[in-house]
Amino acid sequence: MSAPAVRPLLDRRPWTFYALTALFVFYVLALYGPMLCIYLLSFQDLRGGLVFPMKGLSVHWFVDLFTQVRTGDVKGSFDRSIKLAVLVTVITVAVSFLAGMAFRRRFRGDTVVFYLMIGSLVAPGLVLGIGIGLLFQFFHLEPSWFTSALGAQLSLTLPFGVLVMFAVMSRFDRRWEEAARDLGASSWQITRMVVIPILLPGIVAVALFGFTLSYDEFARTLQTSGSLNTLPVEIWTMTLNVTSPSLYALGTVTTIVSFIIIGLCLGSIAQMQKRRALHKASH
Amino acid sequence: MAGKAGNIELAGVCKSYGTFTAVEGINLKIPDGAYCCFLGPSGCGKTTILRMIAGHEDPTEGEILIGGENVVGLAPTQRRTAMMFQSYALFPHLSVRDNIAFPLRVRKASKEEIAKRTDAMMEKTRITELANRLPGQLSGGQQQRVALARAAITEPRVLLLDEPLSALDEQLRIQMRQELRRMQQELGITFIHVTHTQLEAIALADLVVVMEQGHIKQFGPAREIYATPKDRYVAEFVGGQNVIKCTVERVNGSSATLAAPNVKGIEIPLGGKRRIAEGDEVDIAVRRDDLKLHRPEKGGVGPGTTGISSRVRGVEYQGYFVKVMLDALGEQDFIAYIPEREFFGDPLTIGDVVVATWSAERSLLLA
Amino acid sequence: MRVPKSLTSWFYVSPLLLVIIPFFVMPIIVVIAASFMQGDGFGGILPTFTWENYQGVFSEQLTWNLYVSTVKFTVLTWFFTLIIGFWIAYYLVFHIRSELLAMGLFLLCTVPFWTSNIIRMISWIPLLGQNGLVNMALVGSGVVKEPLKVLLFSDFSVVVAYVHQLTIFMIVPIFNSLARVDKRVVEAARDAGASRWDIMRRIILPLSRSGIALGSIFVISIVMGDFFVVKVMSGGNSASVVAALFENISVLQYPPAAAHAVVLMIVVVIMIGAILRTVDIRKEITQ
Repeated sequence: MSAPAVRPLLDRRPWTFYALTALFVFYVLALYGPMLCIYLLSFQDLRGGLVFPMKGLSVHWFVDLFTQVRTGDVKGSFDRSIKLAVLVTVITVAVSFLAGMAFRRRFRGDTVVFYLMIGSLVAPGLVLGIGIGLLFQFFHLEPSWFTSALGAQLSLTLPFGVLVMFAVMSRFDRRWEEAARDLGASSWQITRMVVIPILLPGIVAVALFGFTLSYDEFARTLQTSGSLNTLPVEIWTMTLNVTSPSLYALGTVTTIVSFIIIGLCLGSIAQMQKRRALHKASH
Repeated sequence: MAGKAGNIELAGVCKSYGTFTAVEGINLKIPDGAYCCFLGPSGCGKTTILRMIAGHEDPTEGEILIGGENVVGLAPTQRRTAMMFQSYALFPHLSVRDNIAFPLRVRKASKEEIAKRTDAMMEKTRITELANRLPGQLSGGQQQRVALARAAITEPRVLLLDEPLSALDEQLRIQMRQELRRMQQELGITFIHVTHTQLEAIALADLVVVMEQGHIKQFGPAREIYATPKDRYVAEFVGGQNVIKCTVERVNGSSATLAAPNVKGIEIPLGGKRRIAEGDEVDIAVRRDDLKLHRPEKGGVGPGTTGISSRVRGVEYQGYFVKVMLDALGEQDFIAYIPEREFFGDPLTIGDVVVATWSAERSLLLA
Repeated sequence: MRVPKSLTSWFYVSPLLLVIIPFFVMPIIVVIAASFMQGDGFGGILPTFTWENYQGVFSEQLTWNLYVSTVKFTVLTWFFTLIIGFWIAYYLVFHIRSELLAMGLFLLCTVPFWTSNIIRMISWIPLLGQNGLVNMALVGSGVVKEPLKVLLFSDFSVVVAYVHQLTIFMIVPIFNSLARVDKRVVEAARDAGASRWDIMRRIILPLSRSGIALGSIFVISIVMGDFFVVKVMSGGNSASVVAALFENISVLQYPPAAAHAVVLMIVVVIMIGAILRTVDIRKEITQ
């Protein structure tokens, strides 16, 4: 008989595969579609409005964004947001790393610390903002982006950072540390030459969370940034009074910054993982 | 003297975690340059002892002496021991060369010295061509060589190996076994190797330590452990023996006559180590390869020979010998190893009735 | 002399506590304290004890309306994020055969999480607005005669924005718990004659429970604590507890706002506590 063999049952995709593929495609389109729309619309010319169709093609609104006074202090807030995000990232990485090390074994009171952290993560941002504002008022301190807003943002980024650290640490084999000690490394050498390099991809992931969460943080920053705005707060005021595509242009610019950061982080993680990947096939 | 630097002595070593006692009352002397295997089931405390010698754990009680000096409380480096971890714990972010150079680097050796000694060690362990690979890109056997090189590069006086072969498949395990032995001889230092595989211990070790539940059951050269186990536990764990529970019927000077439930008239020599009296319950061991099987019609049992009539319960072909399972002891194993050619001269099948005989002086009285 | 291990651990978490205590614990305490004090009407607080703020909160009909509205948004958002999040995670784990592809698609879902929420919200305007793409398509295809007004600045757009932002909080934990399921368990079940429905009901759903619980905690606490999406996406037409709170503080009424905040936090804590009863979150996160 030369009839083709019946395809094995396992190779046939069930109908749910196609239904779920459709759902997935729809989800991804809904995720990225709206963003793509405003990127497109931000490149309109002078006649442009907030909706399609596109009117012309230019970078007018980008120029407008950084030159017009009526759109607010975009450049200044952009500057502050980047500085703040870098500051938050550095602190988040260092503190999350240490906390992650502590949580590798149980210690007296660890549950309290854990739930405080979860509380800090899920607390309503505005309520925290009010509390921090009142606290500063009580101590006669002037709220500013690099004190109260920094703390408010850390109360969000640190729990996230520690949670990511948990995931990373759970894949860290204690024997690496023990082996290093056995081979004569001091505690500091173990940390510097073994623990940090092995955990580096995870540490980069923590940095990614720290930077992007800070850079886009709004609810906790609104009440705590003092007299000088960060970029998301600036965008928020713009949504209330700006009805030109310069709003979209700002969206495009901030998203480009985000994408650069995401790309750098994910790219370097992928590089490191690829280097360490198992090449079982080669032997 | 430098030559005596690697002898180890454990004196009254105990280790407990809270209420759980992992090892208790360990007294042991291991001469310099020996290959010593700790053998026992998982949880018997063998790894705990290894880790205490390595300095990763401190004993609750007792002393650990290396080269005559008490090392309790000293760091691994100060003890000049090195450990090869189970599944090797190679640093995944460092190349083979950097893994091996790691101990030198943390000791702040000069660049030239690191390069020279690392190259020499890679040469010795035959991994020079793998120098720039990362551990993830190595096979199990190659990883083991790297781990060995990394542990040996500091020229320790004792190398501690925690289940070093368990991550490998069967064929590779035999190959790497030889390699471990070769390296030990080449380095000329004490190796302490923890395993739960009897064959591995017997094949490798000068000295075998059999452990059970935190205690040493028997300690001696491999052949002694295998051929003359002290008690039922060692005999059954090391294997190759039939252990029979008997009652003493008669003591007649230098020998005794015993009886098991289905068997009468088991003769056994008395070595003088142990005094037994009529009516005592004792265990004896008979090596499986000391048994001979006959068809019952082929005459009786000669003098000085013990015979048990039995039925064949199963036959397993093993290559150079055949494993014949008999039902003489009821549910308990009673097994004969018959040389392959001899077996197939008159093959037995399940249900056949045979007489299993052995020469009386070959049976061994257990403690 | 050795340092006790607990002490070393506390040393390592101390920087974390140095942030959490002044910027989470103390502010919450301050808010609770302020809720029992009188305001001077100019943003100041007088140190006089009073129940007035709570009486205000519980006597107003508005409070109930606010909670009804907030709970409505929470339930709707929770429902849609759970349904979409579960199926996406399930699809990625069990239908994508290449692990690398699954990881890539997973990242594709997570990238927007790292971008600005505000921008993602604004980006619905050209789609859902009266002259937006959706209305153009609907009118153009003759489904409706007039552009729909309910698409933007309505409860609908609020829920759309929430689901858009928060589905990822369901996908990640459910993906994690499903990824840990040994595929052989599913094969064994199929081998034992289980139908696909049996496998879903008896194996996959129970095993994804902890992921669902974790995702629910995120979604519920975020929606309950949010004012910003409601404010922007409803165009001021819908209300929520925190949005009202925001109005309070913009007219410098701190103590009533604090009382509102305390009641809200109690409600959220009760909801999360109920979820935590079903799952050991600590074990789930630290494994």
